[in-house]
Amino acid sequence: MESMNHGLGVDIAFLLLATLAVVTGWRVFRTDSMVRASFFLLVSFIAVGVIMILLAAEYLGVAMFFMMAVEMTVMALFMVMFMMNPAGLNPMNMVHQERIAIGAGVAGFLILGAMALLATFPDQPVPAGLEPVRSLGNEMLGESMLIFESAGLVLLTTMIGVVVLSSHRGRYGAAAEGSMPPGLEPGGDPAGKPEEDEAGEGGHHHHHHHH
Amino acid sequence: MFSELFLPVLMVIFMLVVGGYAVAVLDRLVASALGVPQAGGIWLAPMARGAWLLTQHANATEAPDWRAWRLAPALYLALAAGGLAVVPWSASLVATDLVTSVVLWGSVEALATVVIFLHGWSANSLLALIGGYRYVALGLSYILISMFVLIGVALPAESLQFTQVVASQEGLWNVIRQPLGLPLFLIVGLGMTFWGPLNLADSTDLAGGTASEISGPPRLVWDMARAAMLVAFSGVAATAFLGGWLGPWLPGPLWISLKMLAVLSVLLLLGRLLPRLAPERCVTLMWVVLLPLSFIDLVWAGIGALL
Repeated sequence: MESMNHGLGVDIAFLLLATLAVVTGWRVFRTDSMVRASFFLLVSFIAVGVIMILLAAEYLGVAMFFMMAVEMTVMALFMVMFMMNPAGLNPMNMVHQERIAIGAGVAGFLILGAMALLATFPDQPVPAGLEPVRSLGNEMLGESMLIFESAGLVLLTTMIGVVVLSSHRGRYGAAAEGSMPPGLEPGGDPAGKPEEDEAGEGGHHHHHHHH
Repeated sequence: MFSELFLPVLMVIFMLVVGGYAVAVLDRLVASALGVPQAGGIWLAPMARGAWLLTQHANATEAPDWRAWRLAPALYLALAAGGLAVVPWSASLVATDLVTSVVLWGSVEALATVVIFLHGWSANSLLALIGGYRYVALGLSYILISMFVLIGVALPAESLQFTQVVASQEGLWNVIRQPLGLPLFLIVGLGMTFWGPLNLADSTDLAGGTASEISGPPRLVWDMARAAMLVAFSGVAATAFLGGWLGPWLPGPLWISLKMLAVLSVLLLLGRLLPRLAPERCVTLMWVVLLPLSFIDLVWAGIGALL
């Protein structure tokens, strides 16, 4: 990593990791479950993270591992929660708006491919005494301190806000109180709502507890 | 070539095998010292159980995600190997002396959440799934506590490298310099290996949780991986708080082995002595008590580094 004369092992590792990143990225769209799609994407990101370590970006590469691990877990769980696909094991199509997506994909491939082939990249070998972690820290907490800190504060405020809004014991009482599940048919009775105990319902042996 | 490529791999594999066996033996020693009757000899029983599991049939559930289900135990073992690879045995004997090895250990903890969740999810079975969800809900708080505590040990070292963290403890070990650090970190260790009081992912109230449906060789790999993760964790704890290879008279690798054995014994003893927490209470304990304590630890470490 001191200069440009890296070994053959680095080239082989790069090719294998790049293939892994592309193949798992493709699998994200071909699989049939949101949990699988999230974790295929995670594998793709991890492969990119290892490539970043090969490029001497040792902090950013390793940071990719833990950030994406937590991010993809949370994403998978939230998708399962919101998409009404119990546990994400049921088969489900992972693509939508296919025509636009194909167009955007082809255009993106052409533009990026043209850039890779036609652009002239700077040839700056990594200096021998480079300390990647220290220089990154100086960049983030030096010149870019204001941006970095304001982004951090906004994220923290958002997180606290989400926790307060989604907390079971909310500011205005229990979160579940007064909420009504939607009906099974349009305009129908709320699904799973306990029946009222009314006189005249002969032969009905269910007893619901009212609090 | 040999010392660069094969020696680190051999070191890690040796530690995976010997460490896993040591955990099984130590746990039985601790149990028999506490008066729990043990079937079979303490030294041979782990091997007998391993051989028995190898010959058993691997259970199948209805429509599992086969690849994830079979890969998850192996991946957990691989994460333990990644953790062991960053533990320095002496100033020069380290499998991987990455400049961001503290962060790499943080990613091992984060990726463990993914693997444990996958293990529970892919079995396509109710209790295993609940175990997986439970771990995700709790794992997030373990990761946060661990992160603050580890930033605390990185501060006096002014580095994210475990060898530097050890070197910074030449005068005073972090266990004394940051008194809150090691107790908090031990709780993280019990949590991320879901051992003893924090075994909520594979607990008996879920009939085994994420491991409720596995038997035979996958079961053996899963059990070995949990033991190996405990060993990797004790290596990181000994490095971050107990001065790693530092110590008089004995050579460095022997010192860290002794310290790792001490951490392991404490964890296994806690695992046998403490009752299992209720998951809801555990979440409250983590976020309301332990996370603020880890903030205090970090502020303490920061003030200490400034003075």
